[in-house]
Amino acid sequence: MPRPTAVEQQLRARARELLEKREVAGVLGFRAGTLPGTCVPFLATEPGDADRLVLNRDCAANLAAWLPRLRHRGRIAVVARGPDSRSIVNLVKENQVERDRLHIIGVADPDDTQPVRNPVVFDEFLGERAPDSPPDDYADIREFEALPPAERWQALLDELSRCIRCYACRQVCPNCYCPTCFVDASRPAWVGRTPDPSDNVLFHMVRAIHMAGRCVECGACAKACPIGIPLMIINRKVSLIVRDRFGSVPGTDPDAPLPLTAFDSEDREEFIR
Amino acid sequence: MMADTNPVPSTVSGDFEPRIVAFLCNWCSYAGADLAGISRIQYPPSIRVVRVPCSGRVDPFYILKALQQGADGVLVSGCHPGDCHYLTGNYVARRRFAVLHDLLGFFGIEPGRVSFSWVSAAEGERFAEVVREVTERVRALGPSNRLADARLTEKAERAG
Repeated sequence: MPRPTAVEQQLRARARELLEKREVAGVLGFRAGTLPGTCVPFLATEPGDADRLVLNRDCAANLAAWLPRLRHRGRIAVVARGPDSRSIVNLVKENQVERDRLHIIGVADPDDTQPVRNPVVFDEFLGERAPDSPPDDYADIREFEALPPAERWQALLDELSRCIRCYACRQVCPNCYCPTCFVDASRPAWVGRTPDPSDNVLFHMVRAIHMAGRCVECGACAKACPIGIPLMIINRKVSLIVRDRFGSVPGTDPDAPLPLTAFDSEDREEFIR
Repeated sequence: MMADTNPVPSTVSGDFEPRIVAFLCNWCSYAGADLAGISRIQYPPSIRVVRVPCSGRVDPFYILKALQQGADGVLVSGCHPGDCHYLTGNYVARRRFAVLHDLLGFFGIEPGRVSFSWVSAAEGERFAEVVREVTERVRALGPSNRLADARLTEKAERAG
């Protein structure tokens, strides 16, 4: 086992304290996975569990995804990096998580490729704040958009045709908490069950639309994908649309309404006849 | 949805006559289509109308599903901004359609495959004009093939 970092030491001590004093029913964080270089979400419920908590760049999941299903467990402390905290902001707005039943332990995201590394909301902060990342220029998306439409279609079709419809992307996503997902509904069966390219494209396009105004670009879906489909290109396009059209960056403002549940009578409608 | 759609490709009879699914809101555009009808205004018989209570009822999924199931184009039409029977349904719909419109473009789906319009109950002529325009645009694009389910086309070809 590598030596714990300063933040990990602080985190373990604080988790132990919270659990010993029974201030929370559990501390949601990460522990090392069974394979080297992996981490898995972990709910520490006993003071003795605290020393298993880790925090490093291998912590790929978005912990907010586990909060709706922990609602019946009482007060929960959650380790929140930038993306986790942005998702918590969204889940509170969507009434999936009660803010006053959470204790948010803010930490800087060890992953320096994240656009927002520091938590947006927290009750206490451990360690050093990360330097602010430069504003996102979405250069990757603009580069892809410069391709002719037929090439864009072929590139996305090629990638999405590889999808085996395991729905790992959905399972790790904090936005996907519907009791019955539209792809699982059987009456009517909205989307074909087969990994046919046309069903795959339909699934991924509708998934993208469901992310609009909600995706915080944590990248958990792309990291969970067993065959490495670059899902972030689709998610980031949706984020760019929402930013350009509605001036909204999901999860950064606890008081702003979700952009697709709100409207402005002056919204641009150049595409409507 | 769309279970009874004829899967025979629209090109079978020679000239391409587009099949367009039109989602019309009950209060404005459907009434506008009705007015076009009772006024005997001529427009191409290319649209299959699905009456919906409000343009806000149209999930972007319906539009994509129609294209997958063999529609060559989709038209969504509702009340003009400010005229929604439910006050704000079309404003909320407008944001959803904006996201869908931009996403379709990103995926390389031809602009014009999916059209949006506002048509009031008093605009019979305008409704006919919208249908003419949308039909011509889709006719020029040819049969939809990018989102369409190839299995349906193959099945139709096997059936002759």
